[in-house]
Order: sequence, then structure tokens, then C-alpha cells
Amino acid sequence: MSQSCLDCPQRPDRVFCDLAPDALQEFDGIKSLHVHPRGTILFREGQPARGVFLLCEGRVRLTVCSESGRRMTLRVASAGEVLGLSATLAGGCYEVTAEVLEPLQAAEVRRRDLLSFLREHGETCMHVVHLLSEDLHMAYDRVRTVGLVRTRHSHPHGPVLTH
Amino acid sequence: MLSPYGLDIIESCLTCKMRAERLFCDLPTAALQSFESIKYATAYPKGAVLFVEGQAPRGIFVLCKGRVKLSICASDGKTLILKIAEPGEVLGLSAAVSGKAYELTAETIDPCQVNFVKRDDFLRFLKEHSDACFKVAEQLSEKYNVACHEVRSLGLSHSAAEKLAKLLIEWSSRNGESQKQEPRLKLALTHEEIAQMIGTSRETVTRLFADLKKRQILQTKGSTLVIRNKAALRSLATTG
Repeated sequence: MSQSCLDCPQRPDRVFCDLAPDALQEFDGIKSLHVHPRGTILFREGQPARGVFLLCEGRVRLTVCSESGRRMTLRVASAGEVLGLSATLAGGCYEVTAEVLEPLQAAEVRRRDLLSFLREHGETCMHVVHLLSEDLHMAYDRVRTVGLVRTRHSHPHGPVLTH
Repeated sequence: MLSPYGLDIIESCLTCKMRAERLFCDLPTAALQSFESIKYATAYPKGAVLFVEGQAPRGIFVLCKGRVKLSICASDGKTLILKIAEPGEVLGLSAAVSGKAYELTAETIDPCQVNFVKRDDFLRFLKEHSDACFKVAEQLSEKYNVACHEVRSLGLSHSAAEKLAKLLIEWSSRNGESQKQEPRLKLALTHEEIAQMIGTSRETVTRLFADLKKRQILQTKGSTLVIRNKAALRSLATTG
């Protein structure tokens, strides 16, 4: 397990991680590394956003829930992704629940530290904008499969529903 | 200057009266001056298509006046309206940033003023102005929130009645109406368009409205819809 982002061999392949050395050094200082077992809930839908989770290794299931408790999987996030980004930037609540699917190493950054970091390192903000665009593309894909499938068929298929 | 569509065109962002109230537009003066040099202010009539789902992104469209319908389409022609964009919103943003095709089709439902910025100019502008980059990140975050909300609503609602009730409650929460005993809202969309928003048929929407009026949950006064029984509508929104 890499402790420092500077030593991480995956770094060049990951949008957020491929930062300039000085920015990466500072990022090392504001992150805290944690290992989470399968089944851990990183954050819940509706919870005020406290920070982001950069997935170093492992996978996380992102779900949304109705008032009656029915749950639907939005997608599965994998290593290299940053979870909770939009909610943290907007200062709102997490839009989804994030549940660890396999043992996870994640770098967690508190909201205020992330915002300061982004203001000081403008080029990192562009990385964040790219990540958010990717998140949005995936969300629109999901809207397409969920919304347009249901207009064609009387029963939904595609989304994984649980009660 | 008046355009052919009756719009009072806003020539300069620097003197725009709405600037402070709009997330993207409220930039420092230096950034806004730079933005002025790369934007093209254009007027469009109702029914104009700004961009089409699947088209290569050529730039962003800042909506200054008017409203735009954002929709996605299935291969068989079925359409789902994702939302109605309001002034202040930046359209085509994620496509322009990522370089991927526009994910939605944008069609004006009012005469609109739009500031268009070419993709390369916009990306250069963001690199030079980190404040603007931050604003873009905030706008993308909002759009993501809306998309998640849509997935939840479309994927987890039991029935069309539940989805329609949710939509009406959401619309009535704007402009301070939610605090009123009997909130009012102007129905700007046809039954067909409302059906496209909630993934059902026009006939179902018409039937649902008739049922809600019969049960005195809703009342129409001209083009205004009055919610007579908020509690009943909320109950429908959670249980269908």
C-alpha cells in the first residue's frame, strides 16, 4: 500500500492523481489514508458532505434510495475515482450512498482542506472539472437507461432494485 | 437593442443587472472582461435547437434570457425531458470540458438570448481563470445533483401518479410558493412534454390531471394550477 501519492505507480493513469509534484506533495499533507473492509458505508445519501474519498484500491457501490426504502444501484466506482466530489464542492448533501464492495484503500480529504487546495492550485481545479464531467456523463447514461427503458416496457429492467 | 424576437439583448456581461444572482456570471471583473472577448451574443426564437444529443461539442451556451428544454432520446424516438434550463445556466458544459458528444438535446421553449463560447476558447479561459474554473465545477455539481434526482425519481417511483405528484411539488417549491396554503404554479409545458419528463404517455398525464381535479387536490384557473390539498399531493408523491 503506497503511503505517499508521489510513490504511487498508478499515478500517471489516474485523472486526479496526475498532478504536478508540488501540488501532489501538498495533497499528501491534507489527505488521510484509510483501509475499509467490505460492507463499510463511506457516506450516506442525504448526509451533509464532509469531504471526498479518492479510491486508491478497491470498488464501491453507489446507490440511491426512495422514501419507502427501495434502493437502486447507480453504478460501481473503481480505483482512481473521487467520490463525494460534487456534494463537497457544492456544500450540499451526498447525492448517493457509497458502500464498499471489496477491501478498500481510500485517501480522504476534508472539505475545507480540499477547497483551500483547489484555490491554491488552479490546474488541479481543471482536473476536478474533468472528473465532474465524467461523473455527469455516467449519470446521464443512467438516466437514459432507467428513464427510457421504463417508457418502453411496463416493467423496469437494468437497475438493480432491493428493498 | 431589440432583437427580432422581442428580446432586449444584454450586450455586455459587465453591465448585466442579473450578474450577481447567477452562479457562473458572478466572476471577478478581470475574468468577465476576458469572457467578453470570447463570447458571441445570439438571439434565438422559440423552437430553435442549440445542439443535438450525439453531436460533437463545439462550445458552451450561457443562457442569458429565456428557457431551454433539455432532453435525451431513445433509438425508437421516445424522448425524456431531463429538465427545463433557466437563465444563468451553462449548457453543453460537460461535453465541452470532456470533448465527448453532447449528452442531451437543447431546444428553446421561449425566445432566448444565449452567449456562445467556442470550446477551445472556453478551455483556455478556464485554465487562465481559476475562479471561473471553480464556478464551472459548482455548475457541474448542481447538474450531477439533478441527474441523480432524476435517476431516483424515474427508477424508484412506483407509478406515474407518484412521479407527477413529485414533479408538481418540485415546481410549486419555486418562487416562494411552497410556504402558501394553496401554492400556485404556471403550467409552461403541454401534457405531452410533462409525460416526457416523467417517462409516461400523454394520455396517462391527462387522465392523472383529471383525477387530481376530480379529487379536488388540484384546481386550474386559466393557465395557473392551484394545489388545493398539499398533504394529499405529498402523500401521493411518497406512496403513489
